[in-house]
Amino acid sequence: MIQSVNPEPGAVALYEQKNKELAEKVEKDIQSFDAIYDVAVIKGKEETLVAYKVKHLKRFGMKKIEKDINKLLEDHYPNEDFVVSSDYKIFIETIELLERMKDPSFSEKKAEQQLQRVISLKKEMT
Amino acid sequence: MGKKKNLTPVQQQYQQLEQKHEIKRPVWKNCLNAFWVGGLICAVGQAITYFYIYFFDFTEQTAGNPTVATMIFISMLLTGFGVYDHIGQFGGAGSAVPVTGFGNSVIAAAIEHRTEGFVLGVGGNMFKLAGSVILFGVFAAFIVALIKTLWTMMGVL
Repeated sequence: MIQSVNPEPGAVALYEQKNKELAEKVEKDIQSFDAIYDVAVIKGKEETLVAYKVKHLKRFGMKKIEKDINKLLEDHYPNEDFVVSSDYKIFIETIELLERMKDPSFSEKKAEQQLQRVISLKKEMT
Repeated sequence: MGKKKNLTPVQQQYQQLEQKHEIKRPVWKNCLNAFWVGGLICAVGQAITYFYIYFFDFTEQTAGNPTVATMIFISMLLTGFGVYDHIGQFGGAGSAVPVTGFGNSVIAAAIEHRTEGFVLGVGGNMFKLAGSVILFGVFAAFIVALIKTLWTMMGVL
């Protein structure tokens, strides 16, 4: 929880090489925030899932950080659809999905399904 | 304290004697015990939260509800077995302020009135202590929700 994930989680796109570059760029952008120490990005068919961890003593300003991130992403990539979350559960699910996607036998369709599941988790309120 | 002047000399003498022999409450020690007992209970709660996050489909947002339910259930069991009484004796407010104190007060009242029968005894007296928690909790939540609704309508939030 306190350590960053080792090796670095990185960014992965489900489709095309062009998207991978975008995902990596998004990751760099988020990493430039002072209060954030771990970022994982997955670019799906439509949405891009961005999960991050906030440094413990900066967690008081979590709402502001989320707002800043949303604004930055909106400004830099106006045509993309982002799902941003600082939730720990979303982060571990994202990491798990990233790990599984390294396996070539894990089909893109399944990955997309899994991604949608994580996004639906994020949207759950109660 | 306003009545002090009306005391007879004998009563004043007795008060002095009493003050000399009265055992002082170890306030600071009690505070320290309450602090770390309460902290320990919260650490257990945090562990349960992470348990739900890791092994079930709960997020940080949604893991709160099952955590509270589990903590209350555990403290109810401990009260029934008579363990929580000792924790309460030792930890004081540290064991009463977290939700575990709520479970304790419910079951303690239920056990106490068991001899009066199930309906009028247990049923009627179960929330004798915990009732005020529910009443004022719901009422406070209502007020806060009202204020938030008004603020949202006015566009402050």
